[in-house]
Amino acid sequence: MLYLLVFLPLLVFLARRETPLLVRLSVLVPVLSLLLAPFLLGRAAGPFRLDGVGLFYLLLTDLIYGLVALFARGYFPREEAWRFYWAGALFLASAHGAYLAHNLGMLWVFVEGSTLASALLVYHKGGARALEATWKYLMLGSVGIAMGLIGVILVYALVGGATLDWGEVRSLVATANPEGLKVAFALLLVGFGTKVGLFPMQAWLPDAHAEAPGPASALLSGTLLNVAFYALLRYTALMQAAGLFPFASGLLLAFGLLSLVFAALFLFGQKEYKRLLAYSSMEHMGLAVFALGLGLPWLALFHTLAHSLSKTLAFLGASGILALSHAKEVGRVGGLVLHTPALGVPFVLSLAALGGLPPFPLFFAEFKAVEVAMQWPWLGVSYLVGLGLAFAGLLYPMAQMGFGQGKPIGGRGWDLWLLWLLLFLLLLLGVFPPVGVFKALEVVLWRL
Amino acid sequence: MALLTLVLAVLATGFLMVSRRSLDAIIRLYALQNILLALVSFELAGGEAHFILAGLALFAVKGVLIPWYLFWLVDRLEVSHEVEGYLSVSLSLLLAGLLTALAFRVGEAFVLPEAPLPQGVPVALALVLLGILSMVSRKKAISQVLGFLALENGVFLMALSESHGLPLFVELGVALDAFAAVFLAGILIFRIKGEMGHVDTARMRSLRG
Repeated sequence: MLYLLVFLPLLVFLARRETPLLVRLSVLVPVLSLLLAPFLLGRAAGPFRLDGVGLFYLLLTDLIYGLVALFARGYFPREEAWRFYWAGALFLASAHGAYLAHNLGMLWVFVEGSTLASALLVYHKGGARALEATWKYLMLGSVGIAMGLIGVILVYALVGGATLDWGEVRSLVATANPEGLKVAFALLLVGFGTKVGLFPMQAWLPDAHAEAPGPASALLSGTLLNVAFYALLRYTALMQAAGLFPFASGLLLAFGLLSLVFAALFLFGQKEYKRLLAYSSMEHMGLAVFALGLGLPWLALFHTLAHSLSKTLAFLGASGILALSHAKEVGRVGGLVLHTPALGVPFVLSLAALGGLPPFPLFFAEFKAVEVAMQWPWLGVSYLVGLGLAFAGLLYPMAQMGFGQGKPIGGRGWDLWLLWLLLFLLLLLGVFPPVGVFKALEVVLWRL
Repeated sequence: MALLTLVLAVLATGFLMVSRRSLDAIIRLYALQNILLALVSFELAGGEAHFILAGLALFAVKGVLIPWYLFWLVDRLEVSHEVEGYLSVSLSLLLAGLLTALAFRVGEAFVLPEAPLPQGVPVALALVLLGILSMVSRKKAISQVLGFLALENGVFLMALSESHGLPLFVELGVALDAFAAVFLAGILIFRIKGEMGHVDTARMRSLRG
C-alpha cells in the first residue's frame, strides 16, 4: 500500500495532454492520498514507513497540491497546461517518496528527485530568464545535495555500514564517534540547507521562485522547501539521539538567524513582488530552522505549516495579479483592495500574515519563539530586529498594492474561492493554534 | 597495492580533467575514471555478488551511457569543442594542486577507524573539490555538467572507501538521479543554445539581486 502511495501521482500521466482530464486527475490524486494516507499510519514496507511526522507533511503537501492544481486550470493556456501537470505529478511522487522513506539513502534519493522534478516546474515553457533560473537551480541544487550525500555516507559508515534504516540508525548513533557525527551533520546541514534556502546557499531560490509560473512558485514555496526541511528535522532528531543536540542547535540557530537577517535586508532591494515573496520564503524557512535550533521541533513544524498556507495564498494571489495586470513590479500595481476585492483582499491579507501580524498563525509562531529566545537576550533581540526589518520590507508593497495608485485590473473566471478558503484556514489556525497536536508530533519525531 | 595504484590513477584522471582544454578529451577521461572506479569496487568486493552487480550497473550507466550521451550532445550542439575558462591552464593546474593538497591534509580527519580503503578518502575529497573547481572556472554549460559528474564520482569513491559502498538499491537510486540530472541538463543546454545562440553560462546574467 505504501508503494501505491508513491506511484499514485503518476496516474496523472494517463490523461496525456488533455487538459480537462489532467486537471481532474491532478485533483483526484491528492484527494485519494488524503483519504488513504491516514489509514497507512505506522505501516512499513521495504524501505518505506509512514509515521506521524511523515503523515503530517504528506497531508499538507497533498492539500496544497490539490488546491494549486485546481487554481492552475484557469491560469495556463490550454496548450501548455500539460507541462505544469506532468512536472507536478513527478514532483508529487518524489515528495510522497521522501515523506514515506524510512531509510537515509531513500530519503536522499527522493529529495534529489524532487529537485529534478521541480527544475521542470521552474523551466515550464522556457525563455531566457526561466532558462537561466533553471540552470542555476539545477547546478547549485545538485552540488548542494551532493554535500548532503557525503553526510549520509559518513553517517552510514559511522554506524558500521550496517543499516540505513532510521530506527536502527537512531539506536546505533548513541555509540558512534561524536566527532565524525559532527562533521556529517555539518555537511548534511549545508546540503539540505541549500535546498531549504538558508543563507549563504540561497542564491538559486529567488530566481527560481520568481521565474517559475505562479502556481509552480506556490508549489516550490509551499511544498518543496518542506521536503528538504523534513530531512533536516530527521537529522536533528538523529543528533539528539546521539546526545549532540547542543552542537546541532548552535549551527541551526546561526544559519536560521543569518537567513532571517539577510532575507530581511534583501526584501528592501526588491521591486518585483514575486521576488519579494521568494525572499520572504527564505526568511520563514530561516525562522523554522531557528525554532528547531531553540529545541522546539513542534514550533518548527507549526511554523512550516503556517508558512506553507500563507505562501501558497500569496503566490496564487500574485499569479492572478500578474496574469491580469501584466506588471511584475510592485509600483505598477495598486488599489487592489478597492478595484478587485475578491482577489485583492486575500492577497493583501496574505502579506500581512507573512509579515507576522496577529491574528495570523505566523504571529503566534514568532511570539512563541521570541519567548524562548529571550533566555539569551542578544539572541532574542537579534531575532526581533530581523523580524522588524522583514516586516518593514513588506509594509510598502502591502500598502502600495492594496491601496496605492495603479491601473484598475479586470476580473476573470478564476477560482478565487480557493484564496478565501486558504485565508479562512489561516485565520482558524491563528486563533486556535492546535499546539497539542504539534507537541504530539514532536514526541513522534524525537522518539522514533 | 593494486588498489592503491587504481586509486592514484583515479586521482590522475581527476587532475587531467581540470587541465585539458578539449571537451572530447574530458569526456573520455570521465569514462576512464568510471572504468577505474568500477575496478576499485570489484577489487573491494571480495566475491560478494551484489557488489559486482552494482559495479556493472554503474559501469553501464556512468562509464558508457552518460559519456555516449555527452558525445552525442556535443556533436549535435555544433559549438566548438574547446573549453573556455576564466583561468589559464597553468593557473587551473596550480589551483588543482593546492586543492588536492588540501584534500590530503584534511582527508585524515574524515577517515573513519573501520574504513575499508582509507587511502581512498583524500582522493575522494580531492575529486569533489576538483569537480567544484571545474564548475566555477568554466563557461560552457556542458563543462559544468562534467564538473558535476566528477564531483559525483568523488562522492561515490567516498562511499566505497568509508563504508564498502552504499546498499545496492540506494546506489542505483543515486545513479538514476545522476543520469536524470545529466539528461535534464542536456535538454536545457539545447534550449539555451536555441534561445540565446550560445552555451556560455558567463553570459547568462539577467537575473540579479
